[in-house]
Amino acid sequence: MKNNSLAKRYFGLIIPLALMLIFILFPFYWTFVTSVKPQAELLGPATYWPKQFTWDSYIKLFKGTVDFGAAMRHSFFVASVTTLLSLTVSTLASYAFSRYRFPGRKFLMGLFLSNNMFPTVLLLIPLYSMMRKLGFLYKPISLILAYTTFTIPFSVWLLNGFIDDIPASLEEAAMVDGCNRAKAFIKVTLPILAPCLIATGVYIFMNSWNEYTFAMMFTNTSGRTIPVALNSLIGQLGVQWDLMTAGGIVTVIPVCIFFFFAQKRLVEGLTAGAVKQ
Amino acid sequence: MIKKHSKWPYLLVAPAVLIVVCVVFIPVINAISMSLQHYDLRMPKQIAYIGLDNYKEVLKDRQFWLGIRNTALWVLFGVGFQFLLGFALALLLNQHFKGRGVIRAVSLIPWVTPGVLIGLMWRWMYDGNYGVINDILMRLKIIDAPIAFLAQIKSALPSVIVTIVWQGIPFFALMILAGLQGIPLEMYEAADIDGASGIKKLFFVTIPSIKNTIFITLLLRIIWVANSVDVIFNMTGGGPAYSTQTLSVYIFNKAHSLNLGYSSAMAVILCLILACIAVPYMIMKFRHEEK
Amino acid sequence: MRKILALFLALTLAVGLMAFGSSSAFADDPVNLTFWYWVDNPDYSAVMQNIVADFNATNGKGITVTAEEQVWDGGGYSNNLLTACIGGGGPDVATFKLTSIPSFVENDLVVDLTDYINAWEDKDEIDPNLYSVMQSAVSDGGIYLMPWMTQFLYVYYRPSYFEAAGVEVPTTYDEFLNCIEKCTMEIDGKQVYGFGMRGSKGGQEPWGSFICGAGGSWDDLTSEGSVKGMQDFIDIYTKGYVPPTALNDAYSEIIAGFQSGLTAMTVHHISSSKAMVDIFGDDVSAFPFPGGTNRWTSMGETEIGLLSSCKNPDAAFEFIKYMSAYDGQKVWCETTGNLPVAKSVQAGEFFQSDRFVKTSFESQGFAGVVPITTFTSEWINNWPATISMALTGQMSAADCMATLQKTLYEG
Repeated sequence: MKNNSLAKRYFGLIIPLALMLIFILFPFYWTFVTSVKPQAELLGPATYWPKQFTWDSYIKLFKGTVDFGAAMRHSFFVASVTTLLSLTVSTLASYAFSRYRFPGRKFLMGLFLSNNMFPTVLLLIPLYSMMRKLGFLYKPISLILAYTTFTIPFSVWLLNGFIDDIPASLEEAAMVDGCNRAKAFIKVTLPILAPCLIATGVYIFMNSWNEYTFAMMFTNTSGRTIPVALNSLIGQLGVQWDLMTAGGIVTVIPVCIFFFFAQKRLVEGLTAGAVKQ
Repeated sequence: MIKKHSKWPYLLVAPAVLIVVCVVFIPVINAISMSLQHYDLRMPKQIAYIGLDNYKEVLKDRQFWLGIRNTALWVLFGVGFQFLLGFALALLLNQHFKGRGVIRAVSLIPWVTPGVLIGLMWRWMYDGNYGVINDILMRLKIIDAPIAFLAQIKSALPSVIVTIVWQGIPFFALMILAGLQGIPLEMYEAADIDGASGIKKLFFVTIPSIKNTIFITLLLRIIWVANSVDVIFNMTGGGPAYSTQTLSVYIFNKAHSLNLGYSSAMAVILCLILACIAVPYMIMKFRHEEK
Repeated sequence: MRKILALFLALTLAVGLMAFGSSSAFADDPVNLTFWYWVDNPDYSAVMQNIVADFNATNGKGITVTAEEQVWDGGGYSNNLLTACIGGGGPDVATFKLTSIPSFVENDLVVDLTDYINAWEDKDEIDPNLYSVMQSAVSDGGIYLMPWMTQFLYVYYRPSYFEAAGVEVPTTYDEFLNCIEKCTMEIDGKQVYGFGMRGSKGGQEPWGSFICGAGGSWDDLTSEGSVKGMQDFIDIYTKGYVPPTALNDAYSEIIAGFQSGLTAMTVHHISSSKAMVDIFGDDVSAFPFPGGTNRWTSMGETEIGLLSSCKNPDAAFEFIKYMSAYDGQKVWCETTGNLPVAKSVQAGEFFQSDRFVKTSFESQGFAGVVPITTFTSEWINNWPATISMALTGQMSAADCMATLQKTLYEG
């Protein structure tokens, strides 16, 4: 019995997880190794650990002409505000779509789904001119507005899928107990929904954190975000590999740490919901 | 639940609808109208309405059909494997083990990585002369000589698909993991009492309980991957010999060449194709709701 | 509806008038200009900022230029600039690539500089040939761009490999092909390829040298000589004289190939010479791309243009002159290693002592740009795909050239 469960643990968890992690993490490892190699070592046979270890690229990234710290601050600000804004309006809308039936509902849901089907490159000129006329150009609000617009539709549908999977009976039970709808939503649905809100929030955050096309057009040197800063390391004469990879690493790490704390809610959401039940 | 005449739902959806419509409505109408014009910014003096001529020309374009084929493969295998592997990862990360929090956090890495870096890094790893992938395969004696992954027609598309799969796994893993948290434990307990095996529980408890999540994440991801340009653009630019040029890359290239009319016409067609996937889903969903 | 339209028109008119009013500013009022540029290496950002600061401090006319660095974006820079200008924004002055200029002219976004140049006392600082290259890019013969810096493509080679292969520096195109073949060999058990072929982005430039070297020309890509050049290009690929990765090799890869010793020769310009010398010392040198009955090499260029939205074109031209002929030119070219367009800067000691500069100037005599038509940008984007059809045997040399001829001149 004990042997059996050990084998089960190996084949059911450890081995597949290890394989998956190798696939997922190897490129990241390789990015890191590249960032601490001197440029000369990139040519010729691959070395799995730098012969000559150097943090130069990181120092240059923050202290040199590329002000990566500023880019990170801009990205963080834009992504955070977008996440709050987009998540709030999306949650309200998706709740309405999920729990109410009203004329125009199907049309609006269809409208949302089709919103992201059109390539942004074709919308760029009118959007740019609109931002300029509104006086938003080169201000963070232009990006926040653009990212909110382009993340709402997916978020609404994602949350709609999640809410549909939560039995409405839980909420109705609370309403029988004397809660009004808003209270029932806050007390019952929201805790169960917490992990899904986090997941959707992460989706919105990532999109705003990594978006390039709008960031390129709607910012100037005083407000560049991470993807634009990284792209500025590619000139006509190739890529600054050391800076590029170092930039990649420092982009990834804070988000991972942030998510490490956020993911605990993935479990808490469940227990909270279970208690209410 | 089904209140017919209430102002509440309208108030709830209003902010989202307002933002989206205000920002996107005019640009999209503009793009659709460009698709009906000879709209080439290289020849702005010749801009004029030409009815459906762009569409007719698109349908005769060999590269367009090649793009459709490549998009189909790109989406089918790209999203397919993202989903399968992401689902598997979600199930693994939903088990209890030490260090789960850390592993959950690092699993997100591919998704956090900026698109431009993904393209460049994978291009570098695939390199036929110094690439680490060739090095590993040769050390493992799987191949004798380096393969120019991205420079051969046969291997270029599968190679870029592997990259998009890598990038998309965390999305599915995260969404499905979130969905899994909503399944009441009693359902598994009931299945245990019935003596159901792990596989049975997966198909009869887990999947049915999160089917809405599965469908919608698949649909959203299909739309997203079909429209994604940066990975292919940075890795192969659509080459060699158009073998990795998906429709969205072709649209992007045409738009970059300033032929916005032609490009818009293709974009409208791509939208219609995606709608062919989305509409049946919506019909199914709405019909299901009425039951 | 009509009322709204009328109101809209009135508003536009009012805004337009206000804009017009402010344009007649007095010359001595402080003038602010924005300048867009990109750099090929982040180290050069500070160089540019210093040059601009120096201009602001010394121009004596109250002109303040703000230099806004843009992203090269794999060539997307030109499109981003165009998008901004069409969207009503954009800078007053910007750096340009010549290939992008037709669309700017067609959309009335740039100012013809001919009158400014004619009125400029030092206009002869810049080679008249360069002005005519500028003129050849547009249909109305105007000079819309001021030359700023140039580079000429030539062949880098490794003398030690030449010695091992027993070949001399080639002086004719046929000798060059022979050289490529002979240098494909094993050295110390390591495979060396004769030539680092650029089959991806930007590859049309070295490719053009093959076409013309074989006796063809840009004017008629379907001529016998042009097709022969294409066939030679295919042959060196299929016979394995170039790395098998050639179809996806762009700048980074050909340079990495050469720098790692994988290839014996490759084509690039002066900006990579410093890195080459750092690695190989004396074991790297260069020669101009050889020719036969015809000969051509690509002139890389970057120019400065004046956008029509600029309200103070006179002040902007002061800045343009500073960049192209005076101190801005000198500092920029000496730091970045690009070749100056101003004669006085060229004559400076800095540019007379270097062997790669020498090869560059030897190449200048037969250098040119890819013919600039309405379709050139798109043609350049499509070049790798079209060429790879021929290299992989899906298309014959003649068919490939027919396609290239048609797409370059007729779209």
